[in-house]
Amino acid sequence: MTKKTALILAASAAAALTMTQAAYADGITINVTTTYAGEDSNAQNFKDSVAAWEAETGNKVEDSSATSDEAFKSRIITDFEAGSEPDVLFFFNGVDSNQFVEQGKVVSVDEIRAEYPDYASNMKDDLLGASPVDGVNYSIPVNGYWEGMFVNLEVLQAAGVEVPTNETTWDEFLEACQKIKDAGYTPIAASLQEVPHYWFEYAIYNFQTPETHNTVPESADDEYGQAWTAGLNDIKALYEAGYFPENTLTATDAETFQLFTSDKAAFLIDGSWKIGGIAEAVDDLENYTIVNVPGKNDRKSTDEIGGLSMGYFITRKAWDDPDKRDAAVSFVSFMTSDDVVSKFAGVSATALKEGAHPDESEFNSLQQAAVSFTASFTGLSPAVQDNLSPAAREPIFADMASIVNGDVDAADAVAAVLEAIED
Amino acid sequence: MEARIYKNKKLIWIFLAPAFLFMFIYLYYPFVQNILNSFQHIKYMGTAGGEWNAPWYSNYLKLLSDPKMMTALKNTGVMLVATILGQVGIALLLALLVSNIGAGSGFFRTVYFIPIVISATALGLLFNLVFLYDKGMVNQFLQFIGYLDMEKNQLIDWKSKHAMFTMLLPVIWQYVGFYFVILLTGISGIPSELYEAATIDGASRAQCVRYITLPLLRNSIGTCVILAVTGALKVFDLPWTMFVNGMSNTWLTGTYMYSKVYSDVDYASAIAVVIVVLGVVLSNIVNRLFKENADYNA
Repeated sequence: MTKKTALILAASAAAALTMTQAAYADGITINVTTTYAGEDSNAQNFKDSVAAWEAETGNKVEDSSATSDEAFKSRIITDFEAGSEPDVLFFFNGVDSNQFVEQGKVVSVDEIRAEYPDYASNMKDDLLGASPVDGVNYSIPVNGYWEGMFVNLEVLQAAGVEVPTNETTWDEFLEACQKIKDAGYTPIAASLQEVPHYWFEYAIYNFQTPETHNTVPESADDEYGQAWTAGLNDIKALYEAGYFPENTLTATDAETFQLFTSDKAAFLIDGSWKIGGIAEAVDDLENYTIVNVPGKNDRKSTDEIGGLSMGYFITRKAWDDPDKRDAAVSFVSFMTSDDVVSKFAGVSATALKEGAHPDESEFNSLQQAAVSFTASFTGLSPAVQDNLSPAAREPIFADMASIVNGDVDAADAVAAVLEAIED
Repeated sequence: MEARIYKNKKLIWIFLAPAFLFMFIYLYYPFVQNILNSFQHIKYMGTAGGEWNAPWYSNYLKLLSDPKMMTALKNTGVMLVATILGQVGIALLLALLVSNIGAGSGFFRTVYFIPIVISATALGLLFNLVFLYDKGMVNQFLQFIGYLDMEKNQLIDWKSKHAMFTMLLPVIWQYVGFYFVILLTGISGIPSELYEAATIDGASRAQCVRYITLPLLRNSIGTCVILAVTGALKVFDLPWTMFVNGMSNTWLTGTYMYSKVYSDVDYASAIAVVIVVLGVVLSNIVNRLFKENADYNA
């Protein structure tokens, strides 16, 4: 390389750097972390909304969003501990956020309203999702969620099984699973190793009601503890009957999801966010639908799991930074405005005073099925796992393999959860 | 004549100080703090320890009755044996073979060393695909040769039925090249006159290896075994990528410690102390077994 070439290259690099810095100098850059990533239905909506906010304000967003799983939750907690938390965070408003709420690392809605009176004024305060630590609102929710059972119609047809209805009982569901298995298909696509919580929620819900489901037992012997034990034993029975994939204890969620989308498995319990994932993974979306999870005992099949479990937090770090405070408030206000929330909500609940107004003409067939599905709800309960810390969840989620294998008794696992809560 | 810098000891201290400070701040201080943490109750990762545990050694008592810790210790023992026999053993065999081919040894040196430069996480993902249940390379191959029934889509869940083998194979495979290069370098340092003299005296190839190569490689083999033992005790990334959360009872001391870091911080600290103690004790034992002997220097 000649001296001249080197000089030209160096000058170009310096010019590019200066231009980049100049571009950033025009506005404030805030760090934002959300779960709108991966297969989340709103991943693209989030990107579009961020771009719109950037264009409107001239500010920039450093986005570190990731798929919501235990690793994501751990990362957030570690970031807070290490002092590298984002400026704005879309995160769970249950016990998962207890740590940074207790440490005063996020700002309450009341404190923000003292300076910005219109902050989240379009929301119903009692639906914001108060912290379990002190009952104070810290976050502003966007869209709610529900958990339901997605169905692969082709597999059901090949196995000669009817699509479950609102009247389908648990025993009829088990009969259907057996027929599907006999026809050479996998009845239930689920990775008990990685994502056992959907089945945990519904299995224990079957021994409770919408009024009691969101209650953590005080002892393994009380009515809630017994419901949890009975639910875990039902999962064990499903496993022993061979209704889960043969490799359910070693497969990833992505592997079992692929079974479902490649016409090898019939049922998949997942959240409302999975609609986008399925739409992206398959070419024949009309081959899929969403139904209620068949119930038993006092739980009707139309009693479902759902709620508003996440919201936008503004961290103390951003609030105390005079350069970032306005930008952070502006960003959350934009992302929780009626228009943006309506776009994100689709077929799920919101905390908007005026309610969401999604454009139903743009709904795909699965979203349309979800409209009928949500309309059938007779009861809705939040997921009880949101009341458990990662340590408390461990004996039932990380050790699900030991429970279904019979290495750990379900009642002992429930007792271990309660012990972890006491610790 | 002694250089001036060696006369002025202050200068030596000045040059040593930054490295010492770095080691003190980022290694020894956290290590001592970790020992203290293992006796205290710590609510969240990254927060300071609060009160002392009651009794203060309760985490160590818990270790003794923790079935997962026992599994982790047993599996780490298996990993230790597998790395010594698998990694160092295979590396020795390959080094002996390659040292005998003369031309082309550079090619094999590169080929066997390449896995080392690939990150363990990438290798873990690669072997996840190799042992994938549906459409994995191994299962497809077994179906192709007729061992598994392709019509019935018969498959083997390697991560469940042969979990330890599936975990050990990539770990061994990854490091063979590393020890291979050390041993090959050791072999190349043995004077060729020794082999020539032995050949003139009628020694066979095998006898040359048994009575010349292996004894003169003793120190190199010792170094490899020490590295293999300490490596086996702290191996984490590849097993965690393939067997997250110790699935199929594949806990190792390293993976089990990590799994506890976010849920039971002080207990994870106690496991870390055990790993360090095991590492120090085992490497001392290996050091004594392979005590460097000048007689065996090539």
